Formats: sequence, structure tokens, C-alpha cells
Amino acid sequence: MAFTPAIVSAAPSNQERNIIYRTLGKTGLKVPVIGFGVMRADNASLCKAAYENGIKLFDTANGYQNGNNETMLGNLFKNYPRNSFFLATKVKPAGVDREGKPSSQTTAEDFLSKFNTSLSRLQMDYVDILYIHDISNPELFEYKPIINTVNKLKKDGKARFIGFSTHRNEPLVIDAAASINTFDVILTSYNFRQAYITEMNNAIKKATTAGIGIVTMKPMAGGKSTNASAALKWALANTDVTTAIPGMTAFDHLDVNLKVLSDLNMTEEEKNDIMIASADPGLYCVGCNQCTAVCRKNLPVPDLMRAYMYAYGYSNYAMARELLAELGINNNPCKDCSTCSVECSRNFKVREKITDISRLVNVPEEFLA
Amino acid sequence: MKIKILFFLILTLLSFSSYSQDVILPDLSGYKKVTDYPVYVPENLWDFIDGAADNYLAYGFVDLHVAEYKRGKNVIKLEIYRHSDNTVTFGIYSSERSPTFKFMDLGAQGYNVDGAINFFKGNYYVKIRTYSKKPKTLQAAETLAYKVTGLLEGSTQMPAILIQFPPEGKKSNGETFINESVLGHNFLNKAFKAVYEVGPDNFSIFIMQGSSPAESRKTVETYLATAGIDLIDQGNGKYVFADGYNGTIFLAWKDEKIVLISGLAKDQTAIADQYMSGILR
Repeated sequence: MAFTPAIVSAAPSNQERNIIYRTLGKTGLKVPVIGFGVMRADNASLCKAAYENGIKLFDTANGYQNGNNETMLGNLFKNYPRNSFFLATKVKPAGVDREGKPSSQTTAEDFLSKFNTSLSRLQMDYVDILYIHDISNPELFEYKPIINTVNKLKKDGKARFIGFSTHRNEPLVIDAAASINTFDVILTSYNFRQAYITEMNNAIKKATTAGIGIVTMKPMAGGKSTNASAALKWALANTDVTTAIPGMTAFDHLDVNLKVLSDLNMTEEEKNDIMIASADPGLYCVGCNQCTAVCRKNLPVPDLMRAYMYAYGYSNYAMARELLAELGINNNPCKDCSTCSVECSRNFKVREKITDISRLVNVPEEFLA
Repeated sequence: MKIKILFFLILTLLSFSSYSQDVILPDLSGYKKVTDYPVYVPENLWDFIDGAADNYLAYGFVDLHVAEYKRGKNVIKLEIYRHSDNTVTFGIYSSERSPTFKFMDLGAQGYNVDGAINFFKGNYYVKIRTYSKKPKTLQAAETLAYKVTGLLEGSTQMPAILIQFPPEGKKSNGETFINESVLGHNFLNKAFKAVYEVGPDNFSIFIMQGSSPAESRKTVETYLATAGIDLIDQGNGKYVFADGYNGTIFLAWKDEKIVLISGLAKDQTAIADQYMSGILR
């Protein structure tokens, strides 16, 4: 059988767009309000389409796909003028503990070796932004082996600008960074679901006042059902945010993001979607721990919320029961309280949930094992 | 009515019993085992691996068990990721694999690179990491890897479909499984991919095994429609068309199976035909 040729090309039209640009703090870089979080993308054609449609900031990391992500970008961008795009990568210092503190394994040599590997994969002489990957504790700002290394890389021209990314304790970390004259850019999670959004906005304001450019990630707060366009516009409504870098793996995602690139006005439908999504606390306890101090029974409320999530989020009753057993729950611990002293920051009805999930301890184990 | 509800509840509970398999974190001689990490689940995987979590979630991530092994300043970290089935586990493993790595006989396949030992077995993707450069610590990490693979249940075979890729010109250990948005299209899912280098030509072959001929036909129909082509064949066919984003695509399908080739020029039908026929015969 012969091949049947196409009679019409599916090539998309490359329309003129009024792309919205913002200046990335003291770097002076003028970047479109939408960048590309490349992390999960495995198709260079998607990155190429983004580039050709006006997206210029591409964000990867030394660790993404164990380096395959940087290699893909290197193979793509060697075909384009180096000054026609901005490339940001991240390097994670080794040996940082769970509290975000460096250890004896957190060495300049390791960091430098990883960065040089990144440059090699990217087939570039320099990156536009080098982020220290995942800072959750300001103590790392004082850790000279890493800070001196990134400063030297900037001085040597291998990183035009330096910054860090943060996913935890963001307000604290951003606030601390704004007080020192080390960083040009901060990449932070920022979305409408953050329970501590006031602290976030205050910290971001302080950082931008200090000249630090703000790039945001996780605009959809992990909610796949969230209206992506609305979530991006919500983040970019804060003019202290220069650009957002949503992850994209499909051309459909790109189409949505390209529309935001030239129009940040929320439709009524988008406003409504954000309002609904903001009100829905979901099942995930953010672990703010504000509840533990006020619970009259000193219950481990975040753990109990996790047990509830196992059961009702994942239908994983065995794991929920196992957790309850670990916590020593053998009946309804809330039964003596007529009212609940806990006011959950996510508006969880804590007493109702604990009363509900604690029933699981009465289900015979053989039904679950 | 109450009896019916109770019966349904018990059935529901029983149907999820497979999740209760315990993951054993073995001891390692001379090292103190620390297991104070929580068991990570989809909702909080971000807390552990940040943005990389999205990729794991896209490959059916179920849970993650973590342990650290400490001896003085030397630390070995063990991470055991459980995914929903063997295919997606190969998918996440292969997305982080490079053909240039030093491969090891671990589980279905594993490798060792820069102090990191990664392998997969059945539904488990295991990552072992140390930042120490000391030979004894590196050896201990390897010992731990073999201990873990011995304790985990599951197949030690690579996905069987990989043998369908013709060997001529195929890059060794370059096969992957893409669970979502193959070639960036959200209507193309669950494809095995192999990379080829034949003379001056570099191209990729994708094999998608649908659950039924009707499902595969629908997929083909959707893809061809983006190129303005009406599907005229009933159970098989071959096409070459311009994908607006990915360039020339060769497509062939037969019953449940779809084969795509990207990277060849539209006049290279002979090469495409040779490879596609080999897969679909």
C-alpha cells in the first residue's frame, strides 16, 4: 500500500501578537510575561513552537530528567542566535538537609561540577540566569562555598545573573534575600491557593523594591482541573511579578499560554473559576500546624487530615488505617468536644473529618490487608 | 438498603487492598538507618522533589518511601518510588536515563552515574544517591542496591513491546515510554519511542498499542484531521503528512497498533516503509 499524502498542511498561523513584556528587576532584561517551564517537556518541537511564537525565557535545571532536559534544549537552541532567548538553569547544592541547612557535603566543587555539566549539555558558554535550586532556609545565604561560587560564575560571565528558587518557607526566604545584596532574580512558587499569600505579597514587594526580579512557578497550585489561563492571569495581576513559567507538555497548553502572553485581562468566567477554586480547600493539608497548638486534645491534626486524604483522596483505606494506628487512634478522639477549638487555615472542618476517619479503626484489618 | 451499602463499602475496601503491600527498607551493615521521612503520596510529593514531582505524577506515581543510611559524615539516601504499573515505571525510569550511562544488572535495568544508582523493577523505580567519593561508600551504595532489588517484588524484564523496534540503526538504551502528549499532542498517548541513526538520517519511531482497533482508528482519525486528511481506510493504512508543529510524519496503523516516524523527509518513504512494515507485519 502506498502512502497517502496530505493535501493541507497543519502549520499554525504565526499571527502578530501584542506581547506584554516586563522588566526583570535590576537585570534590566525585558521578558515576556510568560516563560516556559521546560521541566517535563520531552519534545523539542514544543519548545521551538513556543520560541517562534514569542516566548523567550526557558527554564530548566541540572536535575530535570537527569540532564536529558538540558540536553534537549542545547540541541534546539544551538540553531538560534544566543541573544534571541534567555536560558535559566538551576543547580542544587549537594547535602542540604531537610531543614534546608548545608552540610559538609555541600561543596563548591560539587556545585561547580554540576554547573559545568549543565553548560556542556546546553552547548552554551553562559546561562542568562543561574538559580541555586530550592532554598528553604536563609542560612544558606550565609554559606560561603555556594554563595562565593555563584558570585564568581557571574563575575566570570558564565552566569549573567544569579538567583535562587524556593518552594518552602518562601516569604521568610524572599524577605531575607531582599535584605542582602546578593541576588538578581528569585524564582518562587506563587498561586491563588497559598494560605500565606499576604506574607508572600509583602515579601515580593520588599524584594522588588530591592531591585530583585520575580519569576513565578506553580501557578496552578498543582490543580490539574484549575483554569490555567485564569491562574496565570491571577499571578500576573501582581505587577511585582515579572513573568510566570508554566510547565507545558502539549501544544494545547502552549495555545492557552500564548493567549495570556498578550492579554492579562480576566474574563468573568475566569474570575468565577478562580473564586470557586480558591474556596475549595481540596483534601491536602498544607501542614501549617496552626491547629496543633489550639486543639484541646493536642491531636496531631495534620496527620489525621493526611489519613482522611488517603481514604477519600486515594481510596487507600489500608494506608489510612495504618496511619491511624501509628497515631494511636482507637476511637473518635473528638467525641468529648461539643465544639472544635481549631480554625483551620484552609477551612477544613477538622472535627467532622476526624470523627469520620476515626471510624476506620473499627473496620477489621483483614478487610484491608 | 443498609446491607447493600455495607456490602459496597467492603467491596470498595477490598478493591484497594493491593496498596497495602509494605516496602521493606533493608539494613546496611556498618550504617545507621534513618527512616523518619513520611511516606510521600501524590499530594505531597512536591514537598520532597519540588517541581520534578509533576513528571512522576504523569507516570502514575503511587507513593515514595525514603531512608537514609549514615556512617559518620557519609550518607546514602534510598528512594523507592512505586508507580501504578510496569509500563509507566519504565516510562519514568527511561525519562531519566541516558544511553551514555554505565548500565548494571539490577532489576529490569539499572545504571550508575556520579554516585547515583537508579534502577527499576516491576512497579518500583529505585534511586540511591551518595555525595561521598569514598570507594567504600560507593561500594556500600551498590551493596544496598542489590539488597533492595532482592527484596522488591515485580518483573525483572523490560517491556516486551521493545523487541518490536527493528534493531537496524537503533540507539541502544535510548527507548522511552511517553504516557501523555506524544509529540506534544494531547490526543496521542502511551507510546514507546526509539531513536534511530541510519547513515545521515536521525529519526524517531513511536509505537502505540491501543486497547482496541476502534480506539486506534479514532486516534488516527483525530491526528489525520489536523492535517486535513479524511481517514478512508477501515483497519489499516499508511500516510505521510505535515504536522504543523513536528514536520513530516509517517503514520501506519493496523488493528490496534499505530506506528509513527518523525525526523525523515517526506520523500524518504522507502526508509519509512521498511521500518513500519517490519513492525506491523
